[in-house]
Amino acid sequence: MASALVRELLDRAILAHRALADLGEEVEDEWTYVNDLHDAWAARLTQLADARGDEPVAAGASDAIDEAIAEIEAIADPHRAIDWLSTFPQVVVLAIGERG
Amino acid sequence: MRFQDAARDGRAVVYAAIQAEPLVALAASLLVEAGTPERLLARAVMNGERTDPAGWRRMFPALFGDGVPATERDRAEAILAVSLQVADRGEQVRSQVRGAIVEALTERLIARRGPTVAAAVRRERRILFDGVSAEIHPYDVTVEVDGRAEAWDCKWGARGIGPDVLHQLDDARTHAVDEDEPLSVGLVVFDAEVSCRVRLDRQTAPHDGTRIVAIEALHGLAEPAGPAAAR
Repeated sequence: MASALVRELLDRAILAHRALADLGEEVEDEWTYVNDLHDAWAARLTQLADARGDEPVAAGASDAIDEAIAEIEAIADPHRAIDWLSTFPQVVVLAIGERG
Repeated sequence: MRFQDAARDGRAVVYAAIQAEPLVALAASLLVEAGTPERLLARAVMNGERTDPAGWRRMFPALFGDGVPATERDRAEAILAVSLQVADRGEQVRSQVRGAIVEALTERLIARRGPTVAAAVRRERRILFDGVSAEIHPYDVTVEVDGRAEAWDCKWGARGIGPDVLHQLDDARTHAVDEDEPLSVGLVVFDAEVSCRVRLDRQTAPHDGTRIVAIEALHGLAEPAGPAAAR
């Protein structure tokens, strides 16, 4: 079976990150911060997808991102979601071998 | 300009008990030796919902993968274990413990600059200026060296960056200037640099003279000259 591509992983991560931001938006006072933060990280992940999207995924990276997505999908508290808006993309970036 | 112990009010007594927890000291002692990926692991787990260590290991192949040297893996395992202990606490205590860990880590990193600085690092101190009302909230960490004093506040996340702390830090800096006393002020934030920048971009409180040390740059606190200015 062909190995997944970095772009496919990042596309999944970007979708999951948007859903996390949607949950974080429930904290009305932080609506602007949530969306600014989402946009900044989405731009970073999109930039990575453009630069490395056609590369095959390294061993462990797909499982890592699956775990990270499962973790943020378990979050029900919008405050916790805001905590993860930066941590999740950092985990994703590290999983594909980048340094932030 | 002079430094003074914070008042021992009810909040301080309760928080001092949190600061004194062995778990806080253990986490700080592990994180002081860690690199950014391990610190990110700690942040993720301490913020986490799930407590299955196998899942966290899968999430961080750079720390737990097959090719990782045993010594590095052992260090990551120790950080994972202590982070899970923090995550296992109730929400309010977890939040307090996380904050105390960032403070203890900051203190330990700064103390690595050398014996002179190590002997001058203090916790929970106020800074008094002639003719100026003292701030109610103490600074989390101070470096009380003549001619190169520092005041740091510590935050678990970039969300903790707000007008109150920015005003307090900048006020201290400007009052020190008024007294011809150099005082560096800054925020240590256990969160991504991007998040700090995004948070600061919407702040109108003065912060150009305030150093921001994010999770990726914590090692700079241990350098003899202190961390490079982030902004």
